Amino acid sequence: MKGKKISISIVILYIVLFVLSIIWIYPYLWMTLASIKPSNEIFTKLIPSRLTLEHYRYIFSTAKRMNRPFLRALGNSIFISVTVTFSVIFTSAIIGYSLAKIKFKGSNTIFNFILFQMLFPGFLFIVPLYVLIRFLGLLNTLTAVIIPSLMSAWGIFMFTQSYKSVPNEYIEAAKMDGASDFWIIFRIMVPLVKSTASIVGLFTFIGIWDNFMWPLIVIKKYDKMPLSVLLASFNHEYGSYVGPLMAGAVIQTMPMVLIFLIFRKYFLQGISMSLK
Amino acid sequence: MAIRTLKRREIIKGWSITSTYLIYTAIFWGYPFIWIVILALSKWNFLTPRKFVGLRNFIKLFNDELFWRVVLNTFNFMIYYIPMVLTFALLFAIALTKIKYFKSFFVLSFLVANVSSGVAYSVVFQRLFAVNGPLNRLTYALFGKTIPWFNEPQLALFAIAMMVAWKFIGYYGLIFYSGLESIPKSLYEAADLDGAGKFMKFWKITLPLLNPSMIMVLVLSISLSFGIFTEPYMITGGGPMKRTYTFQMMIYETSFRKLQPGYASVVAIMAALISFGCIILVRKLMEREVNYV
Repeated sequence: MKGKKISISIVILYIVLFVLSIIWIYPYLWMTLASIKPSNEIFTKLIPSRLTLEHYRYIFSTAKRMNRPFLRALGNSIFISVTVTFSVIFTSAIIGYSLAKIKFKGSNTIFNFILFQMLFPGFLFIVPLYVLIRFLGLLNTLTAVIIPSLMSAWGIFMFTQSYKSVPNEYIEAAKMDGASDFWIIFRIMVPLVKSTASIVGLFTFIGIWDNFMWPLIVIKKYDKMPLSVLLASFNHEYGSYVGPLMAGAVIQTMPMVLIFLIFRKYFLQGISMSLK
Repeated sequence: MAIRTLKRREIIKGWSITSTYLIYTAIFWGYPFIWIVILALSKWNFLTPRKFVGLRNFIKLFNDELFWRVVLNTFNFMIYYIPMVLTFALLFAIALTKIKYFKSFFVLSFLVANVSSGVAYSVVFQRLFAVNGPLNRLTYALFGKTIPWFNEPQLALFAIAMMVAWKFIGYYGLIFYSGLESIPKSLYEAADLDGAGKFMKFWKITLPLLNPSMIMVLVLSISLSFGIFTEPYMITGGGPMKRTYTFQMMIYETSFRKLQPGYASVVAIMAALISFGCIILVRKLMEREVNYV
């Protein structure tokens, strides 16, 4: 009697979770369908009568003639995000190693300073950083978006923490064989903390790809804009072009979702790790 | 002797590696850090020479109606957002502990919202909540009414809170889930022996032992509430009646539209201070030592 009652409530739970999951995916579904529906069906039919790529053609070629170069913006976004992600992983891997495995006076102070830095919210630095970028003559360049994110206190912190759990014997053994520090870091240490490296890479990529306020401030020229800013400006001026807008939104979202799906294991680890 | 030179080499190596970071952070963190203080004490428009005005920016801020509007808006947002996100994230986490199958499907469909791009999902939700959008079609079909989501002040704030909650419930839910998983099952079994009911177990075991996750989610949600920019910028432009105007929008517009970087710096400093204040208050009031006996 009791067993049956429980199984019914479990079934209800499954149904509720399924319905909620569909609701949660619905915005993605609607966006994707709207980008391949004929314009007049976007708000009237969920399932389109025919599929079309006209909105993608519009966003990539017609919009360019309207001085909204989306292909260029996609290129800018990829360039910015890839550069920053590699730089953050590379520098964090090396600096984290020096803080965790090289004994020198002051390393603890520097580590504590990095923790201290992480307390301050990024928005505190936006106005003075703009003053600096302007002073350096970098406004309207991709460098302006890239350079403030090249190294990350959080990345160094993550690498330092996970290196600490790697036994020193690995390093000693490699040194006996005459391995250089560089070799030790990238051939021994980084593969051992692969999940940390993936988490740092994943979160850095997502953060910089989705960065909006900063590039909005430092870039005013359409051909230098990353996708997020160009899409926002297109939404502002051509808000009634829903189809092309949704095509743009799909292009903006796709890399993040793909990378998330590929690295989802590490994303989940990242969440439980940040708890400790 | 050899050991000493080895040691020295380590010290030199350590400092030369970390100094690259120290130099970088001196330029892109330290320099702005000093500048925000200078700017806060200055009147400037990026072009003409800077004028030192002492604390006048702060005095002006405390008399600025818009600033108090933004403070109220932020708390108003938190009143909608935090209970909503806490309840649903907790329910989601509890549901996950009860099921065996399709777990990764549910987790993925809730988490994929978290990797949506701010600009893209604002563009999408703007259409979903539009007067002729799918949501209003549904409410019209069910209740014969449409809801003017972004035209009424409280509704607009509520709609933005819902969007942000959509994005974060999965993420916070998993934080709760790993908190729930770390509670020893033996505690529940002991409570069963004492004849405790479900509700009792939740109040006396689950909630108190979930305290670290709870604090973490609260801290994340508070700092998020002070950092909102993309959603109101894209959808409402801060309106209606400035009710969705946020700290970040105020910083952006004061600095880069009205060209008052000094005044904007004061807004940024106050936003940081108020959010720190809220976080410290929450920790003081709610943080408990957790011991798994």
